[in-house]
Amino acid sequence: MRTLNPEELAIAKTAQAFVAEHIIPRAVEFDQSGQFHAYLLEKAKPSRIFAMAVPQAYGGLGYSAMAQSLVLEAWGYGCAAMGTSLAASSLSLSAVLIAGTDEQKRRYFAPLVAGGMGAFALTEPGAGSDVAAGQTIASKTDSGYLLNGSKCWITNASVADVHVTFARTRAVGGSKALSAFIMDRHQPGLIHGDIEHKLGLRSSNTAFYRLKDAPFPAANLLGREGDGMRIALATLDVGRTGIAALAVGLAQRALDECVKFVQGRYPPHHYPGQSLQFKLADMQIQIEAARQALYHVADLRDSNQPFGAEAAISKTLATDTAMNISSRALTLMGSHGYSGEIAKLMRDAKVMQIYEGTNQVQRIVISRSVLATHPVCGSTQKEGA
Amino acid sequence: MSITATLDANELRSRAKRFASQHLEPVAAELDHLGEYPDTVMQALAEGGYLGMLTPVSHGGSGIDFIDYLDVIQTFSGNCAAVASLINQHCLVTSAIARWGSEEQKQSLLPALAEGSVIASCAVGESGPGPGPLPAALTATTQADEFVLKGCKAFVRNPGAQLLLICAARQTGTEHREQILALLETGSTGMQPGARVATMGLTACPVAPISFDGVSVNADAVLGSPAAGQAMADELLALSALMEAAQTVGIGMAAVACAAEHANRRVQFGQPVADLQAVQSLLAKVRTHCQLADDSLRQAARLVDADVPFTTQAAMLKSFLAEHGAQMLIDCCQIEGGFGVTESAPKGIREPLPLARMFRDIAGTTLLDAPWDFPEGIIARSISEPA
Repeated sequence: MRTLNPEELAIAKTAQAFVAEHIIPRAVEFDQSGQFHAYLLEKAKPSRIFAMAVPQAYGGLGYSAMAQSLVLEAWGYGCAAMGTSLAASSLSLSAVLIAGTDEQKRRYFAPLVAGGMGAFALTEPGAGSDVAAGQTIASKTDSGYLLNGSKCWITNASVADVHVTFARTRAVGGSKALSAFIMDRHQPGLIHGDIEHKLGLRSSNTAFYRLKDAPFPAANLLGREGDGMRIALATLDVGRTGIAALAVGLAQRALDECVKFVQGRYPPHHYPGQSLQFKLADMQIQIEAARQALYHVADLRDSNQPFGAEAAISKTLATDTAMNISSRALTLMGSHGYSGEIAKLMRDAKVMQIYEGTNQVQRIVISRSVLATHPVCGSTQKEGA
Repeated sequence: MSITATLDANELRSRAKRFASQHLEPVAAELDHLGEYPDTVMQALAEGGYLGMLTPVSHGGSGIDFIDYLDVIQTFSGNCAAVASLINQHCLVTSAIARWGSEEQKQSLLPALAEGSVIASCAVGESGPGPGPLPAALTATTQADEFVLKGCKAFVRNPGAQLLLICAARQTGTEHREQILALLETGSTGMQPGARVATMGLTACPVAPISFDGVSVNADAVLGSPAAGQAMADELLALSALMEAAQTVGIGMAAVACAAEHANRRVQFGQPVADLQAVQSLLAKVRTHCQLADDSLRQAARLVDADVPFTTQAAMLKSFLAEHGAQMLIDCCQIEGGFGVTESAPKGIREPLPLARMFRDIAGTTLLDAPWDFPEGIIARSISEPA
């Protein structure tokens, strides 16, 4: 199993202390009100944690993938809604890291270093898993582009300072028609839409927005025209690690809450029966497997090795685990669970299996990699059948 | 038009469907949102005879078979599971009185319960993985010719006014701490409901603790013989498991139908997502689990109707649904993606969005609020000690 080096341990401990002081005490309150947790930005500002993925050359913390995972794991433990604000912000800046020019990086990273947030707007009402079906159109003008269309279920949409958004620069054509753009919160033609009332992650800002004849200067195009799909997919590979980290944290929290409850039902040094003992053991087995898969992907990223399929495995394993553990813990805790914080964890876990690529899309990615690795097996079976 | 014992299963089912589409479906989302006790719906249920389904005809009810009762609960649960919870609590009590009550108890209580002028609830189980070695939450001490109850029940469903409550309490001073089942009206001296507890779902069925500070229970208010209290409590727990299973199956069936409709409507990659094998696999898995649970439920209900032991069957169902119940909605919400985790439709979206509510509700129907003996211990013992 991967063990943490002293530097990583220190980062994890700092994040855990922040979570214990500023996140856990207020998570339930914000979940109940459904209000965006704006206070957290002020608390996080001195640490520049919203710029943890921004390279030091641009004023950020320049954290390794491993360090970022540890921070998000701690935030997921405290509150997945608050963790999602951080993860989505980091996701959006990954797109700029992947495809931005030096000037674009300076523009995009400055608000994050100052304590602001970013948003990544890919999903549209008719384009969820099928990203290429997006209908937002970027028409060419003399000075750049005019964007028209709608985005939905966008994390941080109403509260982000900077956004990465996607639009078609060609009316026809699938993956080569999509282009990526950066925009800021004052973009002319940006109309913020409804904020959704959600099952979980209730204090995380999720909203619709519309772009109506929104003028974008040519300097806001990320990469080249038609690079959008490539940028989106590469960004989502990175983003999946973030969701996996949040999910590992959430799953561990669910188990800890369950254990705390069980221990409270028995006198000190008195163990519950094997039926319960083994259920708890199975939960820990799943969580540790998900954690190790996460750390493995982080190590691949940090050593510049390919990690796409591993990120999909990690995201699927961690989010399925978070859903499974929180649901199981609630069932075991009975009415105490149904009326307690574990219910929030279960509600929060559900969307993790959906956003940043549904777990069905992850399985497509994983199965392609499996079939590509073992093409002979398939044909041998066919011949033998 | 009130339901009667003479209705056949099909007629009963179609009446329940009509009632649900008229009285439950239109208000389910609002009831969930407000989280208030549904007075108007309860009134309509009383007028329709739905509160007397398990009360014998001789005492003012319709006395329909348990298998038909569960059918009604399934139908209602697909529309509003919180209301089904209220009916289950009520009918569990009427069923217990009909089974074990003295003739005097039956005559004085059952007619009012059947017509709905008194509503009932049940506080039998200890909540969570217990009771374990910790002291019982509610104890009954013999004093002269009565019992005195002390302690609390932490999660009483529907603890409102005009409530008749069946309470299980463990006797002190007896070798095996046997339980008694006491019939109490809320408002009895020493009985104090606490503040309402916020629950994840089933919000129109309020939950609150009730504390008992020296509540007197005379012999007339004890259900059955005190010596049989434990056996009765076990049977009530099993009956309750079947009633909750009907809720789980009802929610699951409605959810999978809703997810399938969405999958047929939602086009991605140039085709309805219902055409994708991955989506078909999920739909098939949920529908299969619903069907297996439903078959098992009907088998258990037939045992109840034949008045033969059914506890093992109920335990198996409880165990199966603890594993697969909540998962049904986890999968259905997955099929709907963002729509499945959105509680109210944003402007311009006309989709009905009941799945998030169902996700929260179904988790409340599969809780293991029972001693560890139930369900696994019962099933394991039944293998070597057949009933």
